[in-house]
Amino acid sequence: MTSTASAMRADLLDPATIAALGRIEVTARWVVDGFMTGLHRSPRKGFSVEFAEYRPYQPGDDLRYVDWKIAARSDRWVVKQFEEETNLRATVVLDVSRSMDWTGASARLTKRAYAERLTAALALLLLRQRDAVGLIRFDATVRSAVPPRARHGQWRRLMAALEEGGAGLASSAAPALNQAARLIQRRGLVVLVSDLLLDANEAMQSLRGLRAAGHDVAVLHIADPAELELEGAGEALFHDPESQLEVPASAADVRAAYQRTVEEVIEEWRSRCASIGAGYTLVRTDQPFGIPLRQAFAARQQLP
Amino acid sequence: MSFLAPLWLGLLVAAGVPLLLHLLRRRVGRRIEFPAARYLLRAEQENSRTLRLRNLLLMLLRVAIICALALAAARPLARLGGTGHAPTALAIVIDNSLSSGVVEQGRPLLTHMKELARAAVDAASPSDRLWLVTADLRVTGGSAAAIRAEIERITPLGGAGDPPAALARAAALVRGSGRPGGQVALLTDGQRSAWRTPPAIGDVPVVAWSPTNAPARNRAVTSVAARPIRWTPRGTVQARIRSADSTSWRLLVDGRVVARGSTAPDQEVSVRPVVTARGWVRGSLEIEPDELTGDDAGAFAAWIGSAPAVRVLAGAGAFAQSAVDALRAGGQVANGDATILGSAEEVTSLPALVTAPLNPVQLGAANRSLERLGIPWRFGAPAREESIAHGDGLDGATVSLHYPLLAQAGAAADTLATVGNTPWIVSGDRYVIVGSPLDPAATNLPLRAAFLPWLGRVIGERLGAEAGTVISGEPGALVTIPAGVDGLERPDGSRVAATAGSWRLPARPGVTFLTKSGKAVGALVANPQAAESELARWPSAQLAGALGARHVRTVSDAGALAALSFDAAAGRRSLVLPLLVVALLALVGEAVLTGGRVRRAA
Repeated sequence: MTSTASAMRADLLDPATIAALGRIEVTARWVVDGFMTGLHRSPRKGFSVEFAEYRPYQPGDDLRYVDWKIAARSDRWVVKQFEEETNLRATVVLDVSRSMDWTGASARLTKRAYAERLTAALALLLLRQRDAVGLIRFDATVRSAVPPRARHGQWRRLMAALEEGGAGLASSAAPALNQAARLIQRRGLVVLVSDLLLDANEAMQSLRGLRAAGHDVAVLHIADPAELELEGAGEALFHDPESQLEVPASAADVRAAYQRTVEEVIEEWRSRCASIGAGYTLVRTDQPFGIPLRQAFAARQQLP
Repeated sequence: MSFLAPLWLGLLVAAGVPLLLHLLRRRVGRRIEFPAARYLLRAEQENSRTLRLRNLLLMLLRVAIICALALAAARPLARLGGTGHAPTALAIVIDNSLSSGVVEQGRPLLTHMKELARAAVDAASPSDRLWLVTADLRVTGGSAAAIRAEIERITPLGGAGDPPAALARAAALVRGSGRPGGQVALLTDGQRSAWRTPPAIGDVPVVAWSPTNAPARNRAVTSVAARPIRWTPRGTVQARIRSADSTSWRLLVDGRVVARGSTAPDQEVSVRPVVTARGWVRGSLEIEPDELTGDDAGAFAAWIGSAPAVRVLAGAGAFAQSAVDALRAGGQVANGDATILGSAEEVTSLPALVTAPLNPVQLGAANRSLERLGIPWRFGAPAREESIAHGDGLDGATVSLHYPLLAQAGAAADTLATVGNTPWIVSGDRYVIVGSPLDPAATNLPLRAAFLPWLGRVIGERLGAEAGTVISGEPGALVTIPAGVDGLERPDGSRVAATAGSWRLPARPGVTFLTKSGKAVGALVANPQAAESELARWPSAQLAGALGARHVRTVSDAGALAALSFDAAAGRRSLVLPLLVVALLALVGEAVLTGGRVRRAA
């Protein structure tokens, strides 16, 4: 990455602009690097009684964990890290159905492209914290599943999985969420990244099951601005490529009613997620990656 | 309700477009890929009643907008009461003929007419169409200011003009405007002689004003002319003065008084003045000014010079010799060789009055002589049947022997008289040919009273070196200028180029000389018609009939004229503004209903 790009904080750039600069793997690194630069405290968490390793002290680290002996001997400040609770086990459940493969404007990323980059950035961020990260991609069925690992090479596996295809004619989140529950054997974090154009009841049931199993759940609702506002004018036949549903309407005439409906839907998701203790975040595809990343990271921070 | 531009009503068809779109909205449109279509369906289902009502309202508003704009474009008028009037058309006809210059009650009648016309123009609204038409058929259209300016410029014509044609022209303008309530306002002196034949004005309403008082007694020079046109060097001025009592007059030639006198009512004046001027002169006979000064003088033109020298050859016959002797005694001709009068075979030079030979044996010699003289005419075989001559004042003369005149190549001449269908007397450059000998055995022309003046005219005007033409008519009349003329010299001495063909006589009475290479060769004499001096008027009640209009109202004052000029359109209002307001309100309503789009545009 050039020095100029570094100075511009990739996590705050326009998603389409940053996506045009390189592959998912590369852009995810830039985003996470930029994101880390913006933090004022150490992202490292998980200090416990079982010592794992030393690492250099970083501003923001709790002074309780500074090894004062080493500091006295070698004049180097290091902090102790403990093995047992350092690693979180997180699984990103990514929707790659046909509805995700859409954008309302050619200048914007498709929902899927945005979600893949966001997923990659989130995974890298967690891996750098030595958290275990897994990935499940689904459309009508589970397309691929990468069990959560924190070891070296997991990043490559995740990237390879993100490169696979998708765009099935349905979004069936329940099997994917159930599989995620199976892959995480102890309490962990499940992040559902989807446009939520799926069977809400079925999905909520699975999410409720995850919560019942003690997992933390975060829902990142990926939405194109055109879906939120119904852009354009004139009479048209609106066709859902996934469900093949066709609705004739005049955008100008129904825009207000549509926007009210979308707000209702979002509120429904928000309240239903809140009712089971799951986090919900609406992510617009014209937002810089840093914004949803920060929201997701905030959820991570609240975990032990 | 009526419409000024009904063609725009065709736009009402466009009102069907929103209606069709509303009815067909579920069948037309593009296909757009939209994954969140389920939300759209839900929005429509949850708001179906509101959306249907809103769509219906939008459709009605859009139809209303188009209808209002289409109606506004058609410029509707409706009788809504109140004051003022709807946009209409008014053509003001001012009869500014010569008689309108008569002074009544201390000022010219035309001045009063102009005040009335201004009052009518003042009552017009900016959206009215206005024209001003004068008796010389001059039309001015435009704004009220332009019409007022033109009114100020109007002066009495030098002649009668054509008021009926002006009225017909004005009616055509009003009819052609298509404006409802259009009228013609006629301002005339109601002269009987001007309104003899009703013009064709159809259904166009006319508001007419004419004076109600009796016309002033008028004296006028109704005719004046020089007899003959060529004075050698003396001639006669014959004039007629119209007057109820004796009138004194004076005769001027080139601005100098050459005779004075007085005459009894309707008696002809005949003066034989002594004039020292030579060449073409302008003359006028004037009487004392009265209330109508435009007809107090009559103009004439004459050529004054020495008598042409004539020699009569033996072949011309004794009658021709006697006639020339008589002309010589009267001072119209003199002895000399300038002009020859003789039989064709003995004439050797031009100018000449050439007669046919009495003896047919001389026919060959006569034609050879014509050829030698360069005259492009030949005598044909003699015809001895009894025939009657026509033309050049010789109608009725019998001809028992004549040689039909045969034109040769290049013949360019005036045929003065014919026998049967063949030329009998022709005139060309410095020659006049008679197709018979001037002998009672061939024709009785030498025996007729018309012979002597005809011979004098031919010698003086056609064979004389200074022959010329006088063309008379009323001011502004169309006349034909003869070939050879290349310029005109106006009464004020200014000169303009001119060519042969149709020309309009000057608008003012007077004499304009025809010139050729700067030298006068004739004159145009403009004098008003005698009838224009008859100031007798139609009473108001009878004027309507004289105008021939179906809807004529006569008025007697300016206020009534101004009011009635627009009363056909009074009370009618233009609905353009209300319709535009309706369209605007509907647009606002449409914008409110489609508020999302407006906010997006903002």
